[in-house]
Amino acid sequence: MSGDARRPSDGGAPELDPVRLEVFRQLFSSAAEEMGGVLQRTSHSPNIKERRDFSCALFDPTGRMVAQAAHIPVHLGAMPLSVRSCLEHLELGEGDVAVLNDPFRGGTHLPDVTMVTPVHVDGELVGFAASRAHHADVGGMTPGSMPLSRELFQEGLVVPPVKLVEAGERNEAVWEMILANVRTPEERAGDLRAQVAANERGGKRLRALCRRHGPDRVGRFMEGLQEYAARVTRDLISGLPDGSYRFDDRLDDDGVGDEPVEIRVEISIEGDRASVDFSGSADQRPGGVNAVYAITLSATYYAFRALIDEDVPSNSGGLDPVEIVAPEGSVVNARRPAAVAGGNVETSQRITDVLLGALAEACPDRVPAASQGTMNNLTVGGTDPERGRPYAYYETIAGGMGAGPWGDGPSAVHSHMTNTLNTPVEALEFAYPLRVRRCEVRRGSGGKGARRGGDGVRRDLELLAPARVTLLTERRRYPPYGLEGGEPGEPGRNLRRPAPGAEWEELPGKCSLEMGAGEVLRIETPGGGGHGEPDAG
Amino acid sequence: MTDLRIGVDVGGTFTDFVLYDPAPDGAFRTLKVLSTPADPSEGVREGLDRADAGSPSEVVHGSTVATNAVLERKGAKTALVTTDGFEDVLTIARQNRSDLYDLSAGRPEPLVPPERCFGVSERVDEKGRVLGDLDGDELDPLVEALEAAGVESVAVSLLFSFLHPDHEERIAERLRREGFAVSRSSDVLPEFREYERASTTAVNAYVGPILDRYLERLGRRLADSRFRIMQSNGGSVGTEEARRHGVRSILSGPAGGAVGALRVARGVEREDVISFDMGGTSTDVSLMRGDVEVTSEASVGGLPVRVPVIDIHTVGAGGGSVGRVDAGGALRVGPESAGADPGPACYGRGGERATVTDAHVVLGRLPPEAFLGGRMSLEPDRARTALDAVGREAGLGDGGELDRAERAALGVVRVANAHMERALRVISVERGHEPEDFAMVSYGGAGGLHAAELARRLGIGEVIVPPAASVLSAFGMLSADVVKDYVQTVMLPGDTPFDDLRRRMRPLAERGRDEVEAEGVPPERIHLEPAMDMRYEGQSYELEVPLGEDFVDRFHREHRRTYGHAEQGAPVEIVNLRLRAVGEVDPPVLPDREPGPPDPAEARRSSRPVIVAGPAGPERRRVPVFDGEALRPGHEVPGPAVIAESDTTVLVGPPDRARVDRRRNLRLEIRGEGA
Repeated sequence: MSGDARRPSDGGAPELDPVRLEVFRQLFSSAAEEMGGVLQRTSHSPNIKERRDFSCALFDPTGRMVAQAAHIPVHLGAMPLSVRSCLEHLELGEGDVAVLNDPFRGGTHLPDVTMVTPVHVDGELVGFAASRAHHADVGGMTPGSMPLSRELFQEGLVVPPVKLVEAGERNEAVWEMILANVRTPEERAGDLRAQVAANERGGKRLRALCRRHGPDRVGRFMEGLQEYAARVTRDLISGLPDGSYRFDDRLDDDGVGDEPVEIRVEISIEGDRASVDFSGSADQRPGGVNAVYAITLSATYYAFRALIDEDVPSNSGGLDPVEIVAPEGSVVNARRPAAVAGGNVETSQRITDVLLGALAEACPDRVPAASQGTMNNLTVGGTDPERGRPYAYYETIAGGMGAGPWGDGPSAVHSHMTNTLNTPVEALEFAYPLRVRRCEVRRGSGGKGARRGGDGVRRDLELLAPARVTLLTERRRYPPYGLEGGEPGEPGRNLRRPAPGAEWEELPGKCSLEMGAGEVLRIETPGGGGHGEPDAG
Repeated sequence: MTDLRIGVDVGGTFTDFVLYDPAPDGAFRTLKVLSTPADPSEGVREGLDRADAGSPSEVVHGSTVATNAVLERKGAKTALVTTDGFEDVLTIARQNRSDLYDLSAGRPEPLVPPERCFGVSERVDEKGRVLGDLDGDELDPLVEALEAAGVESVAVSLLFSFLHPDHEERIAERLRREGFAVSRSSDVLPEFREYERASTTAVNAYVGPILDRYLERLGRRLADSRFRIMQSNGGSVGTEEARRHGVRSILSGPAGGAVGALRVARGVEREDVISFDMGGTSTDVSLMRGDVEVTSEASVGGLPVRVPVIDIHTVGAGGGSVGRVDAGGALRVGPESAGADPGPACYGRGGERATVTDAHVVLGRLPPEAFLGGRMSLEPDRARTALDAVGREAGLGDGGELDRAERAALGVVRVANAHMERALRVISVERGHEPEDFAMVSYGGAGGLHAAELARRLGIGEVIVPPAASVLSAFGMLSADVVKDYVQTVMLPGDTPFDDLRRRMRPLAERGRDEVEAEGVPPERIHLEPAMDMRYEGQSYELEVPLGEDFVDRFHREHRRTYGHAEQGAPVEIVNLRLRAVGEVDPPVLPDREPGPPDPAEARRSSRPVIVAGPAGPERRRVPVFDGEALRPGHEVPGPAVIAESDTTVLVGPPDRARVDRRRNLRLEIRGEGA
């Protein structure tokens, strides 16, 4: 630990003393967690309630994040950009609530809808409450809004920062406009209301804090907590050897063309500062694997955060000591109107892989080999013959985690940028005309090594009625890397069996196809990379 | 044979006894003996002998045997039998990890390793139709494999078995014939969501034989007594049922405490209470409105157990929690704990790190000579050294009349309070309850020094510290009703006729009535609480609604009350039928004494300098110390004061006032606002 300004030497009660710092850390994070509780309990779509694909956070009046509840890492760096975008595009006043999902104005991909509520005390702005949730459908070319697209406009309704609520009154024009453009408007309405309610709760907590401690002190601790997070990151970086660390890896393809999509990083450590440079990464692609800058920021935040042992607040300060260079127009900082549906879920994982790969050189004792590096996005949409109405089922599937210096990688688990739950087989079969035939650990798929990578999953899904199946998956060609002589994990595979007893046919990693009743889709997810030379023999 | 009734709670350090004999004067006795972790029944037997209990009429027992078997992975050698293709259900779980940012965290080890998970070819669909029949011949090689693996206990959990239990029953019957202990999911938890059901069934299978042997040993000593076992739902059952469903005794210790707190509150006509149990390593809080609140979202050691459990929220802050300064310069307290050994620095057993208990010693709030009724003396110098080191690391200096160690001690207490305040807010404010409507019942050794301040911060007006607060859990067990919960997933549309639902409920009701009656409860003291879990079609969380003709309206109302909105007219689903069968037990009648004069001078023992909150910040004041055992009903103690009981110490804050009520509860009237 380095000595610095936080250490008052005098005997007086210092304002930002270590005790109050900790007390305020708890106050802010519990407010953010409370928002999450409201959102989870009042939302409608299984995606938010059952899979918990959402995040909530509090911000200072300048739009810097003070505390985010620990929900979804890929939202980490992205939320502050949403608030900033609202500040740039709107005059937000008391009683307003802004909504947005435009990836090029504060969003990431269209299903992630963000709401931002300014919080005032006696007419003065004291901060913001914001929530982001993955909505099950926001329109576009396929149910679930995770299509194999070539431009943003195919992916669904684009909402720039606009006021959904103005001075306490809902803007019915905006409300109706959104609901008219989605497949399941009632569910959307419920989820949007839930986000407004969650923000309200956050605002209420922040106002109560200001009443109890005074807005000035609350403001100082908002800043103090960001400085605190920055100190922890600096403490981490100072412990890494100075130098430049490079790593590159690739996405299999963009779903349109066949070429791999390169992602490169160079991390330079100098004293207590780091710079992360993605120059040399591929130009943005026609297919939907492009990541907006917010995602690259989130992945960078995550990679450094994961090396910190302390339970530090997730806030904007944590990345202050890190400079990011992401060339505009590249796959890690795409320009409008690039297709971005997969940037959030797939490219984010690869960006994390290259960051951790580079950091492994700097601190080999703290970084595991690559994990599965994909979320294996599966969307099935059709009409339920029994109920006579359309349905959209979205799932992400776990895989192997990379082995680390400390031991084997766990099997069948979500890694890095996501942590959503699976839908229980019994819940799935109650709800949709689908039957799970098999769901098991894909033994032997983890990379060999002194410590083995975790195994992936094999899941067989039978269609009981014709449906459109969309797969957005990665690591089907280029496997998750091993480290320190460990072998890579087994790549994933997607297969279909057109009839009982027929041969399995291999499917591309990214595809959209009509399948008939009785057909079985098999998804085999990648194993994690191994760590250390495998034993001879 | 006497009328003597005994509650016994086995904890990590002590085994607590509450003895109640209604015959002569309804007097209570309490007793603590050291726990015997290797075989907890030894400590129980020793306590019974020391209490000279002879053959009590009834013993209600809560033990950590089942919980510890899971936490320490020391259960029976268990196998899982499931539907072919789903053998890895326990490994895959819900596919999430417990810590987002810990790259090395791993996952909780399943109770059954993959090599002892077996598939059988059979399949039932979501309507209970058989898609693939169970082939009886397949069971021969299964039995061989189980025998070869040296398995003792088997969990059987097939897909959709709650709709069609026949396959599970056939497997269970065969395996029992071969001498295996068997838990089948359609009996343990006939509820949908295959992972949670399999996990619960596996826990049941894993702890069953352990609990069986344990109760066998104890039962020999108590052959002539009625012997009941505390359950996690706040009720108690006979040993036969307890052995069959061992998973239901998991987390029963804290449940006893909550029931005890509720009984204490009812005794003084307060129905709405928050229980606050601060122990050495953690603090349990629970909110109750007239009755315990039950959840089925519990887990143990990271594994879900979907049986009804009293809704208790736990935080990792207790008397032994360690204070330290982290890399960013914030003062942290817990979750690391000094435990009982070496314990806080002031125990003088080699612990050097500053704990919450040390902080209280430095602040003068814990009179060293009166600790644990004088059974143990504390070493204030060691506490001071440890806190001074924390203060130095935190960059604190001397300030005003306080020195660095004292300022650090205030900080440690304050941070610990922040943790506990957060827990209290989770169960109250976050769930739509106003804390000011509740009384706080404080028990557990470390709680009395924090309760008043926490109540003040939350706007709670009264804190109740019951007599013998440290054995409240044993007291709660003694007063627990016989309670049995049943569930059955049905997945029916909301327009199912009420008569049809009643018909489907009937087998549950009959079973509940029979089983509670079999526990020796007369029929007129049994009541049934039928309910249903309902949701809007497409939702994934259910709300419990009592069964009644207007169930759909009640669901909408309940949804509006809980979530702030309802969708009148939207299709609803009935997911589960639930039945709670309660057999009322005579609770012990607490002694009631006529209050005497308010002057507590006879109980005043000494005075000492204590650092307490003053108008302009913390200040040192000379504060009287009272012997809690010597306080009589009617006595009033104005704050600031320290009241030392044999197993807990209570700080009466400067603006507060303590009064001893007719039942010898300390009643703290809390004034002023929290800082």
